[in-house]
Amino acid sequence: MQTCFSNDKIDDYLLQRLTEEEARALEEHYFNCPDCFRGLSEREELIAVIKSRGPEIFDEPRASAWTEPSRAEKFLNFFTPRRWVFVSLAIIALIVIVFGVMPRQRPAPPHFVLDGEEVLRGETLTLISPVIDVTEPPPVFEWKTLSDAAEYKVSLYAETLIWSVTTKNNSVALPEEIKVQLTPGQKYSWQVKAFSLQGQLIAISSRLHFQIGPAAQ
Amino acid sequence: MPPGSDYNAIMSEASDDLEKVILGYRTVVSYRVRKALGSFTPDWEDVVNEIITQVLEKVRSREFRGESSIGTFIYIITSRRIVDYIRNKTKVLRHAPDPGHVPDPDESLDQKERADLVARLVRQLKPKYRDVLKLYYFKELSREEVARRLGIPASKVSERLHYAQKLLRKKLRS
Repeated sequence: MQTCFSNDKIDDYLLQRLTEEEARALEEHYFNCPDCFRGLSEREELIAVIKSRGPEIFDEPRASAWTEPSRAEKFLNFFTPRRWVFVSLAIIALIVIVFGVMPRQRPAPPHFVLDGEEVLRGETLTLISPVIDVTEPPPVFEWKTLSDAAEYKVSLYAETLIWSVTTKNNSVALPEEIKVQLTPGQKYSWQVKAFSLQGQLIAISSRLHFQIGPAAQ
Repeated sequence: MPPGSDYNAIMSEASDDLEKVILGYRTVVSYRVRKALGSFTPDWEDVVNEIITQVLEKVRSREFRGESSIGTFIYIITSRRIVDYIRNKTKVLRHAPDPGHVPDPDESLDQKERADLVARLVRQLKPKYRDVLKLYYFKELSREEVARRLGIPASKVSERLHYAQKLLRKKLRS
Protein backbone atom coordinates (compact mmCIF):
# COMPACT_ATOMS: atom_id res chain seq x y z
CA MET A 1 0.00 0.00 0.00
CA GLN A 2 1.28 3.49 -0.83
CA THR A 3 2.57 5.57 2.07
CA CYS A 4 0.13 8.11 3.47
CA PHE A 5 -0.16 11.49 1.80
CA SER A 6 0.90 14.73 3.43
CA ASN A 7 -1.61 17.25 4.74
CA ASP A 8 -0.63 19.60 1.92
CA LYS A 9 -1.47 16.94 -0.69
CA ILE A 10 -4.83 16.26 0.95
CA ASP A 11 -5.60 19.99 0.85
CA ASP A 12 -4.66 20.11 -2.82
CA TYR A 13 -7.00 17.19 -3.48
CA LEU A 14 -9.91 18.81 -1.68
CA LEU A 15 -9.27 22.15 -3.39
CA GLN A 16 -9.01 20.33 -6.76
CA ARG A 17 -5.44 21.33 -7.40
CA LEU A 18 -4.13 17.82 -8.19
CA THR A 19 -3.79 16.30 -11.64
CA GLU A 20 -6.19 13.50 -12.52
CA GLU A 21 -3.49 10.91 -11.96
CA GLU A 22 -2.49 12.32 -8.57
CA ALA A 23 -6.15 12.49 -7.50
CA ARG A 24 -6.71 8.85 -8.52
CA ALA A 25 -3.66 7.76 -6.54
CA LEU A 26 -4.87 9.61 -3.47
CA GLU A 27 -8.40 8.21 -3.83
CA GLU A 28 -7.12 4.65 -4.15
CA HIS A 29 -5.02 5.25 -1.06
CA TYR A 30 -7.87 6.42 1.14
CA PHE A 31 -9.90 3.39 0.06
CA ASN A 32 -7.11 1.36 1.67
CA CYS A 33 -6.19 3.58 4.65
CA PRO A 34 -8.91 4.26 7.24
CA ASP A 35 -6.72 6.83 9.06
CA CYS A 36 -6.18 8.90 5.94
CA PHE A 37 -9.87 8.63 5.08
CA ARG A 38 -10.83 9.90 8.52
CA GLY A 39 -8.39 12.83 8.24
CA LEU A 40 -9.67 13.60 4.78
CA SER A 41 -13.31 13.61 5.91
CA GLU A 42 -12.58 15.89 8.84
CA ARG A 43 -10.69 18.29 6.64
CA GLU A 44 -13.41 18.31 4.05
CA GLU A 45 -15.98 19.14 6.69
CA LEU A 46 -13.88 22.10 7.85
CA ILE A 47 -13.41 23.40 4.34
CA ALA A 48 -17.14 23.06 3.60
CA VAL A 49 -18.04 25.09 6.70
CA ILE A 50 -15.43 27.78 5.94
CA LYS A 51 -16.60 28.10 2.34
CA SER A 52 -20.29 28.30 3.22
CA ARG A 53 -19.96 30.50 6.30
CA GLY A 54 -16.77 32.44 5.64
CA PRO A 55 -18.18 35.97 5.92
CA GLU A 56 -19.91 35.11 9.19
CA ILE A 57 -16.86 33.38 10.68
CA PHE A 58 -14.29 35.95 9.67
CA ASP A 59 -16.52 38.99 10.28
CA GLU A 60 -15.78 40.67 7.04
CA PRO A 61 -18.12 42.15 4.47
CA ARG A 62 -17.98 40.22 1.23
CA ALA A 63 -16.49 43.10 -0.79
CA SER A 64 -13.79 44.28 1.60
CA ALA A 65 -10.14 43.99 0.63
CA TRP A 66 -7.56 42.19 2.72
CA THR A 67 -5.14 44.57 4.35
CA GLU A 68 -1.53 43.57 4.24
CA PRO A 69 0.36 43.44 7.47
CA SER A 70 2.68 46.39 8.08
CA ARG A 71 6.42 46.15 7.48
CA ALA A 72 7.01 45.90 11.20
CA GLU A 73 4.56 42.96 11.45
CA LYS A 74 6.16 41.27 8.44
CA PHE A 75 9.60 41.82 10.00
CA LEU A 76 8.47 40.34 13.31
CA ASN A 77 6.70 37.42 11.60
CA PHE A 78 9.87 36.69 9.61
CA PHE A 79 11.73 35.90 12.80
CA THR A 80 10.71 32.45 13.96
CA PRO A 81 11.66 31.49 17.54
CA ARG A 82 14.70 29.68 16.20
CA ARG A 83 15.83 32.76 14.33
CA TRP A 84 15.30 34.94 17.39
CA VAL A 85 17.54 32.62 19.41
CA PHE A 86 20.22 32.80 16.72
CA VAL A 87 20.07 36.62 16.55
CA SER A 88 20.20 36.90 20.37
CA LEU A 89 23.25 34.67 20.56
CA ALA A 90 24.95 36.67 17.80
CA ILE A 91 24.30 39.95 19.68
CA ILE A 92 25.64 38.50 22.92
CA ALA A 93 28.77 37.28 21.13
CA LEU A 94 29.27 40.73 19.60
CA ILE A 95 28.96 42.42 23.01
CA VAL A 96 31.48 40.03 24.53
CA ILE A 97 33.94 40.67 21.70
CA VAL A 98 33.57 44.47 21.71
CA PHE A 99 33.68 45.02 25.46
CA GLY A 100 35.59 41.98 26.63
CA VAL A 101 38.20 40.90 24.13
CA MET A 102 39.05 44.04 22.14
CA PRO A 103 40.07 46.30 25.09
CA ARG A 104 42.75 43.78 26.07
CA GLN A 105 44.31 44.10 22.69
CA ARG A 106 44.63 47.91 22.78
CA PRO A 107 48.19 49.13 22.33
CA ALA A 108 49.94 50.66 25.33
CA PRO A 109 49.48 54.41 25.59
CA PRO A 110 52.32 56.34 23.97
CA HIS A 111 55.23 57.39 26.18
CA PHE A 112 56.41 60.87 25.55
CA VAL A 113 60.01 61.80 26.27
CA LEU A 114 61.36 65.33 26.51
CA ASP A 115 64.64 66.32 24.97
CA GLY A 116 66.86 68.99 26.47
CA GLU A 117 65.15 71.98 24.84
CA GLU A 118 61.49 71.11 25.47
CA VAL A 119 59.43 72.48 28.35
CA LEU A 120 57.30 69.95 30.20
CA ARG A 121 53.74 71.07 30.78
CA GLY A 122 52.19 69.56 33.85
CA GLU A 123 54.29 68.73 36.88
CA THR A 124 57.00 71.36 37.46
CA LEU A 125 60.14 71.41 39.47
CA THR A 126 59.88 73.97 42.26
CA LEU A 127 63.04 75.77 43.32
CA ILE A 128 63.32 76.55 47.01
CA SER A 129 66.58 78.47 47.53
CA PRO A 130 67.96 80.89 46.44
CA VAL A 131 64.79 82.52 45.03
CA ILE A 132 65.50 86.18 45.88
CA ASP A 133 68.55 88.42 45.72
CA VAL A 134 71.24 87.44 48.19
CA THR A 135 73.98 89.33 49.98
CA GLU A 136 76.58 86.72 49.36
CA PRO A 137 77.04 83.72 47.07
CA PRO A 138 74.46 81.08 48.15
CA PRO A 139 76.10 78.17 49.92
CA VAL A 140 73.40 75.68 48.93
CA PHE A 141 70.96 75.28 46.06
CA GLU A 142 67.76 73.52 47.12
CA TRP A 143 64.57 72.41 45.31
CA LYS A 144 61.48 70.29 45.93
CA THR A 145 61.79 66.57 45.39
CA LEU A 146 59.91 64.92 42.49
CA SER A 147 58.61 61.43 43.23
CA ASP A 148 59.56 59.98 39.87
CA ALA A 149 62.97 61.60 39.68
CA ALA A 150 66.04 59.51 40.26
CA GLU A 151 68.60 62.24 39.56
CA TYR A 152 68.77 65.99 39.26
CA LYS A 153 71.08 68.21 37.24
CA VAL A 154 71.71 71.69 38.60
CA SER A 155 73.02 74.40 36.28
CA LEU A 156 74.25 77.87 37.23
CA TYR A 157 74.39 80.60 34.61
CA ALA A 158 75.82 84.09 34.30
CA GLU A 159 75.48 85.01 30.69
CA THR A 160 76.64 81.51 29.91
CA LEU A 161 76.80 78.29 31.87
CA ILE A 162 79.38 78.56 34.59
CA TRP A 163 78.71 75.39 36.63
CA SER A 164 76.67 72.20 36.44
CA VAL A 165 76.45 69.15 38.68
CA THR A 166 74.31 66.01 38.99
CA THR A 167 72.97 64.75 42.27
CA LYS A 168 70.46 62.27 43.63
CA ASN A 169 69.51 64.64 46.47
CA ASN A 170 67.23 67.66 46.34
CA SER A 171 70.07 70.06 47.29
CA VAL A 172 73.66 70.64 46.38
CA ALA A 173 76.39 72.76 47.95
CA LEU A 174 78.10 75.37 45.84
CA PRO A 175 81.78 74.44 45.59
CA GLU A 176 84.32 76.98 46.92
CA GLU A 177 86.06 77.32 43.60
CA ILE A 178 82.79 78.38 42.01
CA LYS A 179 81.81 80.61 44.96
CA VAL A 180 84.90 82.78 44.54
CA GLN A 181 83.99 83.35 40.89
CA LEU A 182 80.65 84.91 41.73
CA THR A 183 80.85 88.73 41.68
CA PRO A 184 78.63 91.02 43.77
CA GLY A 185 76.29 93.14 41.69
CA GLN A 186 76.27 90.51 38.97
CA LYS A 187 73.03 88.80 37.90
CA TYR A 188 72.97 85.03 37.85
CA SER A 189 70.36 82.35 37.18
CA TRP A 190 70.01 78.69 38.03
CA GLN A 191 67.85 75.79 36.83
CA VAL A 192 67.24 72.16 37.80
CA LYS A 193 66.37 69.28 35.51
CA ALA A 194 64.94 65.99 36.80
CA PHE A 195 65.71 62.64 35.21
CA SER A 196 64.08 59.25 35.60
CA LEU A 197 65.81 56.02 36.53
CA GLN A 198 66.17 55.28 32.82
CA GLY A 199 67.88 58.65 32.29
CA GLN A 200 64.94 60.33 30.61
CA LEU A 201 64.26 64.00 31.28
CA ILE A 202 60.94 64.22 33.13
CA ALA A 203 60.83 67.82 34.49
CA ILE A 204 62.59 71.17 34.16
CA SER A 205 62.27 74.05 36.55
CA SER A 206 61.95 77.59 35.39
CA ARG A 207 65.21 79.52 35.29
CA LEU A 208 65.36 81.54 38.51
CA HIS A 209 67.36 84.79 38.53
CA PHE A 210 69.14 86.22 41.54
CA GLN A 211 71.71 88.92 42.17
CA ILE A 212 74.45 89.08 44.71
CA GLY A 213 74.23 92.34 46.58
CA PRO A 214 77.19 94.69 46.75
CA ALA A 215 79.77 93.86 49.41
CA ALA A 216 79.18 95.41 52.83
CA GLN A 217 81.42 98.22 53.45
CA MET B 1 -8.07 -29.95 -1.07
CA PRO B 2 -10.96 -31.69 -2.91
CA PRO B 3 -14.32 -29.94 -2.86
CA GLY B 4 -16.26 -31.07 0.11
CA SER B 5 -18.23 -29.85 3.02
CA ASP B 6 -15.06 -28.81 4.91
CA TYR B 7 -13.76 -26.83 1.98
CA ASN B 8 -17.09 -25.21 1.31
CA ALA B 9 -17.50 -24.39 5.00
CA ILE B 10 -14.07 -22.79 5.15
CA MET B 11 -14.66 -20.78 2.01
CA SER B 12 -18.10 -19.80 3.20
CA GLU B 13 -16.73 -18.58 6.53
CA ALA B 14 -13.94 -16.65 4.79
CA SER B 15 -16.48 -15.20 2.42
CA ASP B 16 -18.72 -14.10 5.31
CA ASP B 17 -15.78 -12.31 6.93
CA LEU B 18 -14.91 -10.61 3.69
CA GLU B 19 -18.51 -9.55 3.16
CA LYS B 20 -18.49 -7.91 6.55
CA VAL B 21 -15.34 -6.02 5.56
CA ILE B 22 -16.95 -4.96 2.30
CA LEU B 23 -20.03 -3.66 4.05
CA GLY B 24 -17.69 -1.59 6.22
CA TYR B 25 -16.57 0.19 3.05
CA ARG B 26 -19.96 1.84 2.64
CA THR B 27 -18.74 5.07 4.26
CA VAL B 28 -15.73 5.56 2.03
CA VAL B 29 -17.70 4.56 -1.09
CA SER B 30 -20.44 7.04 -0.13
CA TYR B 31 -17.83 9.76 0.29
CA ARG B 32 -16.36 9.10 -3.15
CA VAL B 33 -19.71 8.95 -4.86
CA ARG B 34 -21.03 12.13 -3.21
CA LYS B 35 -17.82 13.94 -4.11
CA ALA B 36 -18.08 12.86 -7.73
CA LEU B 37 -21.82 13.33 -8.25
CA GLY B 38 -22.57 16.01 -5.67
CA SER B 39 -24.43 15.60 -2.39
CA PHE B 40 -27.62 17.00 -3.87
CA THR B 41 -27.80 14.33 -6.58
CA PRO B 42 -30.82 12.29 -5.49
CA ASP B 43 -29.43 9.04 -6.92
CA TRP B 44 -26.18 8.96 -5.03
CA GLU B 45 -27.39 6.51 -2.41
CA ASP B 46 -28.68 4.18 -5.12
CA VAL B 47 -25.29 4.33 -6.81
CA VAL B 48 -23.57 3.41 -3.54
CA ASN B 49 -25.92 0.47 -3.03
CA GLU B 50 -25.23 -0.72 -6.57
CA ILE B 51 -21.51 -0.57 -6.00
CA ILE B 52 -21.63 -2.53 -2.74
CA THR B 53 -23.90 -5.13 -4.33
CA GLN B 54 -21.61 -5.49 -7.34
CA VAL B 55 -18.56 -5.95 -5.10
CA LEU B 56 -20.31 -8.64 -3.05
CA GLU B 57 -21.35 -10.49 -6.20
CA LYS B 58 -17.85 -10.47 -7.58
CA VAL B 59 -16.42 -11.71 -4.29
CA ARG B 60 -19.01 -14.54 -4.10
CA SER B 61 -18.32 -15.55 -7.69
CA ARG B 62 -14.59 -15.64 -6.91
CA GLU B 63 -13.83 -12.84 -9.35
CA PHE B 64 -11.80 -11.21 -6.56
CA ARG B 65 -8.74 -13.43 -6.26
CA GLY B 66 -6.68 -11.30 -3.83
CA GLU B 67 -4.30 -10.01 -6.51
CA SER B 68 -4.85 -6.50 -5.17
CA SER B 69 -6.04 -5.30 -1.80
CA ILE B 70 -9.78 -5.33 -1.21
CA GLY B 71 -9.67 -1.51 -0.90
CA THR B 72 -8.17 -1.14 -4.36
CA PHE B 73 -10.69 -3.62 -5.77
CA ILE B 74 -13.60 -1.64 -4.37
CA TYR B 75 -12.05 1.65 -5.54
CA ILE B 76 -11.82 0.41 -9.13
CA ILE B 77 -15.45 -0.75 -9.16
CA THR B 78 -16.54 2.55 -7.60
CA SER B 79 -14.65 4.63 -10.18
CA ARG B 80 -16.12 2.65 -13.06
CA ARG B 81 -19.64 2.93 -11.73
CA ILE B 82 -19.27 6.70 -11.30
CA VAL B 83 -18.08 7.08 -14.89
CA ASP B 84 -20.98 4.92 -16.13
CA TYR B 85 -23.48 6.94 -14.16
CA ILE B 86 -22.21 10.26 -15.48
CA ARG B 87 -22.25 8.99 -19.07
CA ASN B 88 -25.78 7.61 -18.73
CA LYS B 89 -27.10 10.69 -17.02
CA THR B 90 -25.67 12.90 -19.72
CA LYS B 91 -27.36 10.81 -22.42
CA VAL B 92 -30.73 10.41 -20.74
CA LEU B 93 -31.17 13.77 -19.16
CA ARG B 94 -29.73 15.98 -21.86
CA HIS B 95 -33.06 17.62 -22.48
CA ALA B 96 -34.76 16.91 -19.20
CA PRO B 97 -34.60 19.15 -16.20
CA ASP B 98 -32.92 17.85 -13.09
CA PRO B 99 -35.38 16.80 -10.38
CA GLY B 100 -35.11 18.96 -7.27
CA HIS B 101 -33.48 17.49 -4.20
CA VAL B 102 -35.62 17.03 -1.13
CA PRO B 103 -33.28 16.91 1.83
CA ASP B 104 -33.97 14.71 4.83
CA PRO B 105 -34.95 17.13 7.60
CA ASP B 106 -33.18 15.13 10.35
CA GLU B 107 -30.01 14.87 8.35
CA SER B 108 -30.08 18.59 7.62
CA LEU B 109 -30.56 19.46 11.30
CA ASP B 110 -27.63 17.30 12.38
CA GLN B 111 -25.47 18.77 9.67
CA LYS B 112 -26.50 22.31 10.59
CA GLU B 113 -25.71 21.80 14.26
CA ARG B 114 -22.37 20.32 13.40
CA ALA B 115 -21.61 23.19 11.01
CA ASP B 116 -22.59 25.70 13.71
CA LEU B 117 -20.18 24.05 16.12
CA VAL B 118 -17.32 24.04 13.61
CA ALA B 119 -17.94 27.70 12.74
CA ARG B 120 -17.94 28.66 16.42
CA LEU B 121 -14.69 26.79 17.08
CA VAL B 122 -12.98 28.42 14.09
CA ARG B 123 -14.03 31.87 15.33
CA GLN B 124 -12.49 31.08 18.71
CA LEU B 125 -9.07 30.28 17.25
CA LYS B 126 -6.20 32.73 17.70
CA PRO B 127 -5.96 35.28 14.86
CA LYS B 128 -2.79 33.77 13.41
CA TYR B 129 -4.57 30.44 12.86
CA ARG B 130 -7.84 32.02 11.75
CA ASP B 131 -6.01 34.13 9.19
CA VAL B 132 -4.36 31.19 7.45
CA LEU B 133 -7.69 29.30 7.35
CA LYS B 134 -9.38 32.34 5.87
CA LEU B 135 -6.78 33.03 3.19
CA TYR B 136 -6.12 29.41 2.25
CA TYR B 137 -9.58 27.84 2.35
CA PHE B 138 -11.99 30.76 2.08
CA LYS B 139 -10.10 32.90 -0.40
CA GLU B 140 -8.36 29.84 -1.93
CA LEU B 141 -4.98 31.53 -2.22
CA SER B 142 -1.91 29.38 -2.81
CA ARG B 143 0.38 28.59 0.08
CA GLU B 144 2.99 30.96 -1.32
CA GLU B 145 0.49 33.78 -1.70
CA VAL B 146 -0.74 33.30 1.85
CA ALA B 147 2.88 33.39 3.04
CA ARG B 148 3.50 36.63 1.16
CA ARG B 149 0.37 38.29 2.52
CA LEU B 150 1.15 37.37 6.09
CA GLY B 151 4.90 37.96 5.82
CA ILE B 152 5.81 34.45 6.94
CA PRO B 153 7.60 31.50 5.27
CA ALA B 154 5.47 29.05 3.25
CA SER B 155 6.45 26.25 5.61
CA LYS B 156 4.94 28.28 8.45
CA VAL B 157 1.65 28.42 6.55
CA SER B 158 1.47 24.61 6.37
CA GLU B 159 2.47 24.38 10.02
CA ARG B 160 -0.30 26.73 11.13
CA LEU B 161 -2.93 25.01 8.95
CA HIS B 162 -2.01 21.66 10.38
CA TYR B 163 -1.98 22.93 13.97
CA ALA B 164 -5.31 24.73 13.57
CA GLN B 165 -6.93 21.53 12.34
CA LYS B 166 -5.36 19.55 15.13
CA LEU B 167 -6.88 21.99 17.65
CA LEU B 168 -10.30 21.83 15.99
CA ARG B 169 -10.22 18.05 15.80
CA LYS B 170 -9.38 17.82 19.49
CA LYS B 171 -12.26 20.13 20.43
CA LEU B 172 -14.73 18.37 18.14
CA ARG B 173 -13.87 14.95 19.51
CA SER B 174 -14.15 16.14 23.07
